[in-house]
Amino acid sequence: MTQSLLAHALAFYLLSTATCIAHVVSGQESMRRWALGLLGCAFALHASALSVQAVLLGYESVATFQEELSYIACIMIGVYLLMALFLVQRTNLTVVGALVTPLAFLFTLSAYAFDKPTAELPPQLQNIWLPAHVAPAFLGYAIFALAFCMSVIYLLQEKQLKGKRKSDLFRRLPSLETLDHLNHRFVSWGFALFTVGIITGTLLAKETWGALWSWQPVEVASATTWVLYALLMHARNTGWRGRRAATLTIVGFVVLLVSFLSVNLVFPGKHTGSFD
Amino acid sequence: MEREVLIVGVNHRKAPVEIRERLSFADGTLEQAGRELVTLHAVDEGVIVSTCNRVEVIAVTMAGDEAVDVLINFLAAGERIAREQLAEHLSVYRGREAVRHLFRVAASLDSMVVGEPQILGQLKDCYGHAASVGSAGTVLHRCFHKSFSVAKRIRTETGVASKAVSVSSAAVELASRIFDTFEDKTALLLGAGTMSELAARHLLAHGVSSLIIANRTFERAVELAREFQGTPVPFEEFPRYLQMADVVIGSTAADGYILTPARLQETLRARNYRPMFLIDMSVPRNFDPAINDVDNVYLYDIDDLGGVAQVNREERSREAEKAEAIIEAEVEGFWKWLTSLDAVPTIVALREKMEAIRKGELEKTLATLRDLSPRHREILEAMTAAIVNKILHAPITHLKQHQREREAFYVAAARQLFDIEEPDHQ
Repeated sequence: MTQSLLAHALAFYLLSTATCIAHVVSGQESMRRWALGLLGCAFALHASALSVQAVLLGYESVATFQEELSYIACIMIGVYLLMALFLVQRTNLTVVGALVTPLAFLFTLSAYAFDKPTAELPPQLQNIWLPAHVAPAFLGYAIFALAFCMSVIYLLQEKQLKGKRKSDLFRRLPSLETLDHLNHRFVSWGFALFTVGIITGTLLAKETWGALWSWQPVEVASATTWVLYALLMHARNTGWRGRRAATLTIVGFVVLLVSFLSVNLVFPGKHTGSFD
Repeated sequence: MEREVLIVGVNHRKAPVEIRERLSFADGTLEQAGRELVTLHAVDEGVIVSTCNRVEVIAVTMAGDEAVDVLINFLAAGERIAREQLAEHLSVYRGREAVRHLFRVAASLDSMVVGEPQILGQLKDCYGHAASVGSAGTVLHRCFHKSFSVAKRIRTETGVASKAVSVSSAAVELASRIFDTFEDKTALLLGAGTMSELAARHLLAHGVSSLIIANRTFERAVELAREFQGTPVPFEEFPRYLQMADVVIGSTAADGYILTPARLQETLRARNYRPMFLIDMSVPRNFDPAINDVDNVYLYDIDDLGGVAQVNREERSREAEKAEAIIEAEVEGFWKWLTSLDAVPTIVALREKMEAIRKGELEKTLATLRDLSPRHREILEAMTAAIVNKILHAPITHLKQHQREREAFYVAAARQLFDIEEPDHQ
């Protein structure tokens, strides 16, 4: 049941990616609406897959790395859809969608392809701090992912403007000011949520293992990423905007992704997703 | 007295904006004013053109000098302005001069910024109001339609409009890829050339809220600032205002660069690295091209904007000459048509045409009836002449009776119905 819902969600992610690209290339308004509609369907299917899973198990299943990715992808698309609908009168964000949607597709695909019986959630983790840790952390990751996509588009637009190239393709990109503004808002929100996630995470560690900090790979990686984003927030307040802020956002997200992957795949320690 | 086209009014050449404002007709009042205009004894047809740069009454009259007086009173009516004050700033165009003026206005050659395209739309609206209340008649219908086609011809056949306009709209389009909204943005004009003025006008039309103008001739800056509700500043002081500007348009005649990367670095730091869009409209260039390498600054020169090799003075005046030549030819054509509208030459032409037909047909008939006696020939001759006269009697009487208002209409109709050649070939 869950797998079949996920498979359909994947198909809709692909279709939406295709129509996003078709809109960006052709500029047809109908394609933009189709892309949003298809993405809405994909989101609904994906969210139902996760809910069905949670109902079947009796709790939100985030025990494996792939499940985490799946949740993050779903949240990311939810936030993107909200933003796209909210800003639809002012700014055409379809080009951002053309980046966000395939990213969600990849994340979800990994959850789908590595389907394995979900690990039983260890009883010592079943306390109030788990959702308080997972919810803000995932939302933060999703929002960082969106900020990353917007920074990529920013650099594309900026390169076009500096290089004085004329292409119809790039007329449909949002303005630099819009992208920079959204980037700032997203990084701020992502940072706040990420911070909350780290705080509740250490409290969860205290509750579970008895120590706030125990030099686990996940703790070191999170702290590094946090410092990087903190630097970005600070730099922005001192006038680092535009190209540099976009570059730093991209670097931040890459570090986040690398630490996320390595913690889960290369240096498994004590964390959800890698309990032994 | 002869029929003539007459234009009385004020425009940006002789009247300052305060005068133009006072005379302008608000939206929705043009129809009523048009109705009142044609009730005047001296006015046969009339169209009121009211834009921000001109308030002009275009009339067809046979009253000569008296009509000028009547129109001045019409404009000054309602205590909008004292007659004497109006007379100071008044522009009067008569005859061919009036037709030429209307054509030049339509073609945007008389605009404050030559080539700006809005005027044609405004003119069409004003004419539309006049047509809807019937104050435009045969002559003005044709005159306005002709002016629209002349404007179109000039737009396609000469470069008067296209270059300036394409450069400005390219600038606005680029700016909209940098800025989300123009409403909180400030533009700085360095030098008040025509091109930069047009670009500023475009930016203002798209919502840019404030404009700072620095020009070497300070009076010109003041003049332009008044028109755009901007702030004039002495040219030497422009660096102080640089950091306030989101868009900077340069068009000075300076030989060297007036802006360098170092200065931009400094400016950017002062404005907390908010992006700037620099447009260099001048040849030789005012802004060092290396400025484009400064972060968050985007510099475009005139080549980048339009892909136009050069929009220099000589080229523009050459295009303007071409446009004036087109106008001259079109005025001539219209004038011929207008003078043909008199009843007398039309009646003569009508008679000549009928006589030629009668003669031709008579000869053909007589050629087949060889054995007719001279007397019979005379009878045939007299009969055909009588037929022609009887047929022509009613139309000619009408043409003679309808002096004034309806004459042009009947004459034009007669010319068309009887296919009397028009001097103005379409």
